[in-house]
Amino acid sequence: MNERITYCLILIPALPLLAAVIVAVLGPKLLRSLSHIPVILGLAGASVCSLILVAEVLREQDSLPTDREKAGFEQVVTLWTWANVPDAYNLPGDGATLPPHASRDVGWRDFRIDISLRADALTAMMLGMVTFVATLVAVFAAGYMEGDRGYWRFFAYIGLFVFSMTMLVSVSNFLLLFVFWEAVGVCSYLLIGFWYEKPEAAAAGKKAFLVNRVGDFAFTVAMFLIWCTYGTLNYHDSLADGTTDPQRVVAATADSPPEQKLIRGVLGQDRILAGDYKTGWLATAICLLLLLGACGKSAQFPLHVWLPDAMEGPTPVSALIHAATMVTAGVYMVARCTPLFAASPTAQLVVAITGGFTALLAGLIALTQFDLKRILAYSTISQLGYMFLALGAGTVLGVTGGMFHLFTHAFFKALLFLGAGSVMHAMGGIIDIRQFGGLRRLMPWTHATFLIGCLALSGVFPLAGFWSKDTVLAAVHHNAIEHELERRVGSHPGHPDAEPAAPGPLAGWTAEQLATARLIYEVLYYGALFTSFLTALYTFRAFCLTFYGQERIPDQAGHHAHESPPLMVAPLAVLAVCSIFVGMAFVAWSGSWGGNILANFLEGAPSLAAGAIATTKTPPEFHLDIAGYSTLVALAGILSAMFLYMGGTKEATVLKRLFDLQGADRLTDPEWIAGLERIPWISATTKFLRSIYLGWVVTLVGYALGAGSLVLAIPLLVGQFISPYKLSQNKFYFDEIYAALVVWPLSILASICYWIDRWIVDGLVNAAGMVPAAIGSLMRSLQMGLVQFYALAMVLGALVLVAARLIWAAG
Amino acid sequence: MINQLLLLTIFLPLIGAVLLALFGRASRESARLLALCVALLTLWCASQLIFNFPPTGELTAGFAVTDIPWLSAVAQTGLDIRFSVGLDGLGLWMFGLTALLFVTAVLISWEAIQERAPLFYAMLLLLEFGCLGVFTARDIILFYIFFELTLIPLFFLIGIWGSEERRYAAIKFFLFTLSGSLLTFLGLLAVVIWDYQHSGTGLLRFSIAGLTESLQQHPLPVNLQLLLFAALFAGFAIKVPLFPLHTWLPLAHVQAPAAGSVILAGVLLKIGVYGFLRFSLPMLPQATAICMPWMLWLAVAGIVYGALVALAQSDLKKLIAYSSVSHLGFCMLGLFALNPTGVQGSVLQMVNHGISTGGLFAIVGMIYDRYHTRQIADLGGLARRAPWLAFFMVLFTFSSIGVPGLNGFAGEFLILLGMFQRAWAEAPAALATQYVVIAVLATSGVVLGAWYMLWLVQRVFFGPLKEPHTTGHNDHVSDLSLREILALAPLAVFIVWIGLRPNDFLSRMGPSLEAARRPAAQIVDQARSAPALAREPINSLENVARAR
Repeated sequence: MNERITYCLILIPALPLLAAVIVAVLGPKLLRSLSHIPVILGLAGASVCSLILVAEVLREQDSLPTDREKAGFEQVVTLWTWANVPDAYNLPGDGATLPPHASRDVGWRDFRIDISLRADALTAMMLGMVTFVATLVAVFAAGYMEGDRGYWRFFAYIGLFVFSMTMLVSVSNFLLLFVFWEAVGVCSYLLIGFWYEKPEAAAAGKKAFLVNRVGDFAFTVAMFLIWCTYGTLNYHDSLADGTTDPQRVVAATADSPPEQKLIRGVLGQDRILAGDYKTGWLATAICLLLLLGACGKSAQFPLHVWLPDAMEGPTPVSALIHAATMVTAGVYMVARCTPLFAASPTAQLVVAITGGFTALLAGLIALTQFDLKRILAYSTISQLGYMFLALGAGTVLGVTGGMFHLFTHAFFKALLFLGAGSVMHAMGGIIDIRQFGGLRRLMPWTHATFLIGCLALSGVFPLAGFWSKDTVLAAVHHNAIEHELERRVGSHPGHPDAEPAAPGPLAGWTAEQLATARLIYEVLYYGALFTSFLTALYTFRAFCLTFYGQERIPDQAGHHAHESPPLMVAPLAVLAVCSIFVGMAFVAWSGSWGGNILANFLEGAPSLAAGAIATTKTPPEFHLDIAGYSTLVALAGILSAMFLYMGGTKEATVLKRLFDLQGADRLTDPEWIAGLERIPWISATTKFLRSIYLGWVVTLVGYALGAGSLVLAIPLLVGQFISPYKLSQNKFYFDEIYAALVVWPLSILASICYWIDRWIVDGLVNAAGMVPAAIGSLMRSLQMGLVQFYALAMVLGALVLVAARLIWAAG
Repeated sequence: MINQLLLLTIFLPLIGAVLLALFGRASRESARLLALCVALLTLWCASQLIFNFPPTGELTAGFAVTDIPWLSAVAQTGLDIRFSVGLDGLGLWMFGLTALLFVTAVLISWEAIQERAPLFYAMLLLLEFGCLGVFTARDIILFYIFFELTLIPLFFLIGIWGSEERRYAAIKFFLFTLSGSLLTFLGLLAVVIWDYQHSGTGLLRFSIAGLTESLQQHPLPVNLQLLLFAALFAGFAIKVPLFPLHTWLPLAHVQAPAAGSVILAGVLLKIGVYGFLRFSLPMLPQATAICMPWMLWLAVAGIVYGALVALAQSDLKKLIAYSSVSHLGFCMLGLFALNPTGVQGSVLQMVNHGISTGGLFAIVGMIYDRYHTRQIADLGGLARRAPWLAFFMVLFTFSSIGVPGLNGFAGEFLILLGMFQRAWAEAPAALATQYVVIAVLATSGVVLGAWYMLWLVQRVFFGPLKEPHTTGHNDHVSDLSLREILALAPLAVFIVWIGLRPNDFLSRMGPSLEAARRPAAQIVDQARSAPALAREPINSLENVARAR
């Protein structure tokens, strides 16, 4: 056991929590406008600890004894027992399929949940990213939130959030993952509704929570299935009494006493090495339920609707929670559960489809939005889609690529959001890109850093986004063009690397199924390339409209529109530097083109080190063709955006002119109808008829014509709602569809139930109660209101009891 | 020593009630002070008992038992009614919760009760006496006396200090529960008499532990078990209240004074679940096994139906009352999942619901004290006016909707896990599909729960400030006073404590629950492991039961 890792694991969540408690207690009265200090200190401390943790994990990975090297490195620290229900479940064993050493694994199980933290590469990477970005955002927020009534409250929530998020990525148990999964959801709820007096903010908070609850429902059922299938919710191997010391765990044998029995964790090294995972529909069910849970938290289709509304929260919150950290929890979870997903290629395919589709959908919506933060929110959804797409490739390259994109995205998306916050700060709270423009001279620092963020997001060489997006595309490309699936089952004779068929989950697939899957990956690959074009287009649309064209400042900004103070610019600068260099540095340090040290590091985590996934490892290579295509596509997007939007004000609606069906909206336009009156012969006729008191004829004819034209106009009106532009502008009507399909029916059902309750259930009860009620009415006439009588009755009753006692005793 | 402490704990409230009744003309101030002192003293005694309870929950024959002959004439007729009280894992936490909630109840009545205060507090303490007695009684007659004793004071609390329709509500509450409990009593007497006829001891005994043990040696015939199960069901299911016997509850809650609602939701409803756990499961195991699917369906119907009806409410108290129907459905679901996880979750959830819903009713009372309205539409944005009130409301709401890290989650998760495990791995083949549907429906109840509670919070506490103008002096409406914070803070402490360390609570009740659960669970498991019989589950259960 590495002591330093233990201390770091405990300190990283503890410091933010401590800071939150200090601010919550001392904030309102004592600290007030100094409330940011404990939180920033706490987060900075956690960030230092995270760096130490990363270094230690790296060192431990390098110094693993060769016999354990295959299984990767993990270290588990147990704090206390949350719940223990002895002999809760008799895990059935289908003895035939179990390897001999696993037979000790079946039998009576305790439902035992220990509060245990783990350190491995995946956790260390997430911790490093979360605490670093959180520290910068907290510094930015110290400037941004200055003077807010709830200053201390804000920083207390931030501390609480970072505590929950760090716990989320470091716990070693599905139940605790769920605990902190919901805990970050609660923090998100509180922070979205931070300005609770705004009705939109309060509604957005509730919406976020409820949509997430739908995902959590699936997550809960997945957990139940995992428990019933594997008989534990732990990731790690342990003994039945909770011991996690590796030496003692490895030493457990079939003859060990019951409390020393080995409990193989769901993602434990023993199980991964043995490849002992259920396959078939059960594995698919578990994975799809987990995926739906992840879709809730990471705002993927069909549960993506909450994230844009969540932009009602303060901007630093959008940057930290709704861009860099919390929304990536779903990606982290799927990556963590790689061994489970590897057991179900169907589920992996669904992950890829979900990701690819969401990326495209969100990219299309982002094109026509006017709210700068919402554009970025849809961009986040889209980029998270990329990450899922990569994870869905189901290869080591895919998973590490998804995590790499998660890592770089955290920096440039936080940068973009904080930049948007800086703009919003200067514009007096206005965030509609139609209302301001040409801010580059006014806000040079924001302009420069925002540009860097946009370039990184678009994937321009050599910024961070370029490298990670390239890896994502390469992972899909492997499955799509290079017949990775066929290669893995050895059924692609033409392939030079064809291996003999390995008994894996894919082995059961027929050639047609493999071909279909390959085709789907191919579609996804080209979809991803197109999304890449959209990304560049909407990003630079927002950028050009904000910073170029004629300088325009809304009235709300007053006369003091200015560049943000250094406290806010400094985090922007740091993030910009990271956005430039993170990808480059990782690739450069790895010493080979296409390799990156992050991927090498992550491959040391147990979930990726062994098992089915490990057979998909490919040597690092740089995909010049993919890089070339994606760069070309990004440049095309950037150039189109500059061509369309560089000029001035009206271009905000250029897409409307291109893609909206004109004409139909005239019918509903009062000005156009009023314009009819100005046509000479119409007005002359009207005047004439009015002059002979027959004005009603005009009205009647007008109504008749109106009604007739409405019938004719129905196709046009429908066209109005589903023109490409309208679809995008209205977010493909998801909110309306969900309202019509879920919210309204349930509300009506609720009213019906209440009616039934009052008139039928209670009516029956009352009818059945007629007889007693009649007796009751007799009693009522005797007793109503006479409290003394009741007192007397009670005393008499007591006397009867005492008397009875005496009589018995005497008798 | 420890058994005398238990006696003292139970009788302290009675002494307090008698004192208050004797000084019926005492001023409001002195009456409430006396009541508070008595409640606090009771709480202190109860906490001493709980601290001394064995942490592993292993007991040989109860804890702090006092057992003296009461109405007993063994020599003549064999009649053996004893005054027997003691604690075990089944009643331990409900006992503690009772002592805790009555302090809250006294504190929130502090200003709200203006008329006939001494009588009010006397009734409240009498109610506490009854509740403490119910959870400690070890004799059927004693249990029944305490059981009925809880009715009378609450009848007065609702009927005298309630709102507009208090008389109707009080009568309905009284008749509903009384008629049920009479059937229950007959059922319990039948058990006693059957035992007298068949145990061969010649004793007409009423000891719960003795009867349970004896009935496991000489089980009742299945038909009689079913009949008696129905009789017990009548009283306990109304008390819970199980769908569709719940209609008295919203009415009683709406009309009751805040303290009455807190106790009604927090303690009295649990007597129903406790009754099933104490009597039906261990004494009538075959009937329990046979009725299991029906009970599970009723429980899940309550969960979903209660949540849907709660969604349609416009009255704060009614909404929370219907949420109780939903939450008690969870308790019953866990109980009748009949596996360790489910049953332990169920009892934990009883405590959780007592704390969170008790707290919510207290908060509604505080809102009512300020604005004299319970209509959601009249209120809005109160977080601005009363941040502490909003803080507690959000905390109790989170607890109620099962946010992890707080107590509600621990109970709900164990219940749902137990139910799912029963459905997935431990159900007879013919029932497996049904059970999976039940488990999934119940899990979806959690989503609905979040919906109506968060919507309530959004409408009442967030958004722009909106206050009814009937009171005319809204500027004087203030945030929580120290007294009100003290009423809520202990509940908040337990919300966090149970959420972070549920094992402190589970371990103390585990062994007792295991003993209560096992007879019925064994019959269910036997039916499952007899594959030839599994095709016709109901019949097979009966067959197995008859074979015994």
